[in-house]
Amino acid sequence: MSENRLQKLKGHIVAENKSTAMAGSPNPLTTHVLNIATGLPGSNMALCLYRHVPSTDAWTLITTGTTNDDGRCPGLITKEQFTPGVYRIHFETAQYWESMGETCFYPYVEIVFTINDPGQKYHVPLLLSRFSYSTYRGS
Amino acid sequence: MLTGKADLSTPLRQIMAAAASSPLTTHVLNTGDGIPAAKMAVSLHRLDSELMIWNMLSIGTTNEDGRCPGLISREAFISGMYKLRFETGSYWESLGQTSFHPYVEVVFTISSPEQRFHLPLLMSRFSYSTYRGS
Repeated sequence: MSENRLQKLKGHIVAENKSTAMAGSPNPLTTHVLNIATGLPGSNMALCLYRHVPSTDAWTLITTGTTNDDGRCPGLITKEQFTPGVYRIHFETAQYWESMGETCFYPYVEIVFTINDPGQKYHVPLLLSRFSYSTYRGS
Repeated sequence: MLTGKADLSTPLRQIMAAAASSPLTTHVLNTGDGIPAAKMAVSLHRLDSELMIWNMLSIGTTNEDGRCPGLISREAFISGMYKLRFETGSYWESLGQTSFHPYVEVVFTISSPEQRFHLPLLMSRFSYSTYRGS
């Protein structure tokens, strides 16, 4: 077999492994906080991720974290922990604005969402100003 | 909107006057279909800051225009932390559709209850936004 042909085959095999690894993504759930008033990432915002326990109607705390300089918080949940269910991300929005010397209409923002297929990747951003916010299922 | 002289002796105008006097209003819009979100259950709660529990103040359903008049009276509208809860999941279910968010809760702080607060909710099956409007 020619060198060229071998290289091409190797390329297919490596790509296959990569997609297998990504099918159960190490970061199946991500968020991104954007301060739409300043046009900058919402960095140093405290947040928590919870999962709902239907039998007790309680919430289990999974992670606490703070957004980085890019407004992201990697490592919210592992592939193993990411089971189907209802999740909630709690963002400390007023605390965030206070640290910049401003008030915020929303003391905190909680986004509750349903995960039916944990094999997919879910991106739940928060676009925020002092008097508005929005969220969507992104990628 | 009421225009002209309000004849408060007629029942309809009385109801509308009472509804119009709520200092807190909302408006739910189904941005996926470009229509008001009618028949959505909405409830208003205030946080009891001593007991740290939420007290439900009113519950209603959005009308054909996606509005829910009469959420709270001027007298009851004191400073504090409030929560508007929108039963968005049930709404989409009633249209035979799934949605990403089982419900939406918007928590906000009122420190100037003499003002008016209009808090719309624009939502689709996979997104929503809210803002302080007028």
